[in-house]
Amino acid sequence: MAAPRIGNVLCRISNCNFTSVLLEKINYSRSSTCLLQIRHRQAFPPAAWYVKRKTTDLDENLTKENEEFLDDVMKDVYRKRLDRVFSPLEDGPWKRNEYNRYTRRTGVLAIKIGVVPQWTKEGKRFTTTMLQIIDNHVIRYTPPEKFMKSAGWKPWWGNKYGVAVVGALSTNPRIYTKEYNNLFMESGVPPKKKLTRFLITENAAVQPGTPLNAMHYRVGDVVDCSAKTKDYGFQGVVKRWGMKGMPKSHGVTKTHRRMGTTAGGKFKGGIWKGKKMPGLMGNRWRTARGLKIWRVNTKYNVLYVTGQNVPGNTHGFVRVMDTKLPLRKPAPDNPPPMPTWYPEDATEPIEEEYFDKDLFQFTEESVKFAEGKK
Amino acid sequence: MASYSRRILPCFWKTTKLLTFEDSARRVPCRYHQELLPTRNYLLPETVEEHRKSELSKHPELPPSITSENVPADFRFVYPEFLPDPQYDRRDSIRERLEREDMYRRRAVIDIPEFYVGSIMAVTVSDQYSPNKENRFVGICIDRGGVGLRAFFILRNVVDGQGIEIMYEMYNPTLQSIQVLKLEKRVDDKLYYLRDAPQEYSTFPFDMDPIPVPKGSTVPVNKMKVQLNPRPWLERWERQDLQGVEDLKLEQRFYDKAAKVAKPWEKYDLMKWYRENTNEEERDSIMQEVHQRKRLTDIEKSKRKTKLAERKR
Repeated sequence: MAAPRIGNVLCRISNCNFTSVLLEKINYSRSSTCLLQIRHRQAFPPAAWYVKRKTTDLDENLTKENEEFLDDVMKDVYRKRLDRVFSPLEDGPWKRNEYNRYTRRTGVLAIKIGVVPQWTKEGKRFTTTMLQIIDNHVIRYTPPEKFMKSAGWKPWWGNKYGVAVVGALSTNPRIYTKEYNNLFMESGVPPKKKLTRFLITENAAVQPGTPLNAMHYRVGDVVDCSAKTKDYGFQGVVKRWGMKGMPKSHGVTKTHRRMGTTAGGKFKGGIWKGKKMPGLMGNRWRTARGLKIWRVNTKYNVLYVTGQNVPGNTHGFVRVMDTKLPLRKPAPDNPPPMPTWYPEDATEPIEEEYFDKDLFQFTEESVKFAEGKK
Repeated sequence: MASYSRRILPCFWKTTKLLTFEDSARRVPCRYHQELLPTRNYLLPETVEEHRKSELSKHPELPPSITSENVPADFRFVYPEFLPDPQYDRRDSIRERLEREDMYRRRAVIDIPEFYVGSIMAVTVSDQYSPNKENRFVGICIDRGGVGLRAFFILRNVVDGQGIEIMYEMYNPTLQSIQVLKLEKRVDDKLYYLRDAPQEYSTFPFDMDPIPVPKGSTVPVNKMKVQLNPRPWLERWERQDLQGVEDLKLEQRFYDKAAKVAKPWEKYDLMKWYRENTNEEERDSIMQEVHQRKRLTDIEKSKRKTKLAERKR
């Protein structure tokens, strides 16, 4: 998107033909932090790749029997495809590469289901957030060369990353449009309620239709969780920025929760950009980085992740990825499953739960301190 | 009224169905109106449950609900922390199930007895800063709360003329033993007013002998009335509907203000009650599960005891 725009500007300035501009040689700079505050809900035109999801009306005058028959057909079609078996007619499973320090794997699309306390073996309490991974499948993979030509590409990503689209929560295709359902033709899974894309390197490419589950991560791994924060709507300055307001009494009239002065006089010259004011609060993308996985439940696909600060409400979608923090991301000498975990990888039978070595398990005896230790 | 009906009637005639809010929103000529409408950035618990049970997913089936247990009627007052969170937007069936599983495991290791607000208890915890790495505290339970793994209770006692309160987490692994010295209930749910009462009401000796309750008898209710100290207080006790307190002997203006601030209609607020509680079916199924697990762990514990006794012989 950005490249043609800058190219057009250059053409106008230099009065030349558009094709004569060498786009590869332009240095793009990413704009620094935006100080503009969002005061009101804004509506933008839908993106170029957007397809309409929901059908406008479901007024098919079907009898109950017919509806049940359609449901049975739908289940029959998809149940077979969920256990993906590669037939010789299809292209076989893709080649699996080794992990190196530049690799970025796909993430998973989880649901936040609550916050619970846990204890270490020294009896220290801390809180963990539980993230459940329901029905995750890879829907599409786009290699870097193809992705660079697409509309969703940003120049500062360079040519390193391809895109894996991951979907969660299988649904009935009847409630969606034909265009939306066609997105899932390649992977052969039922249409998903929610889709996201993850930037991945070429050696971590995943075949469409591959299921992702909690075994994608191991206990002790560190992840980043990004989600939309709680939507508080239009809020005043006391709640939104934590300003103090003014006293409740002692002659104060009509300014108990207002922000006071907006600007200094003389040299400061009016209101500065980025002044903290009332406006829309929350409902923005935020990332909590460097959260350790303490415990994994493989039966219900639940991850226990450090802290209670994963953004959003309970039952909100959370993008869980390998961390970007250089010292805590998976090291090449202890590589994570690449590109994801497959059932045939398991050398031992899978246990129902995996615990971190420092985590207290509730089947153990109570914590006791030794005499000499302090 | 007339103009209102005139405006609606043609719509009836055209569409032959009542216009919902979403329908009317669609008819607004703004281009991106759908995106301006307030949206939810999380799912409702019903939809999540639907997807978990959906045949399209490979989600594990939940174990069948237990119905054959004969649960005593007051069983849920003994194990209140197993019931779902009173905040309805924090409930989730899988989280509660996994949390309960942890609680059963912990209860199999240490014995957490039946107790209520007003019971006198002795608690031993491991403490790395005390000389023998252990700390025992005796006191009256003045509050009990929390749900799931964050369940807690507060003990109060007076040591060397200084009132002391300690909050214990019931599933904390540093907790070594809980002993109920005197099992009884009080008339109130919370006994925070003991802070403003004379110290003899909350003084208990640390070498107190346990007073056993005869088997088969119901838990006794202590109807003692406490005489509070004169004002100033930590809270306005006259505004709380306290049963276990003698006449406060205040001026009439305090009672007038209390009557003005009181919310007597809250106990008739059905919606509020509905939000804070779960339905009876769900509550009973959880209690049956707890009862069954308790029965099984009791059997295991008795087996272990007999084995130990045989070894000693």
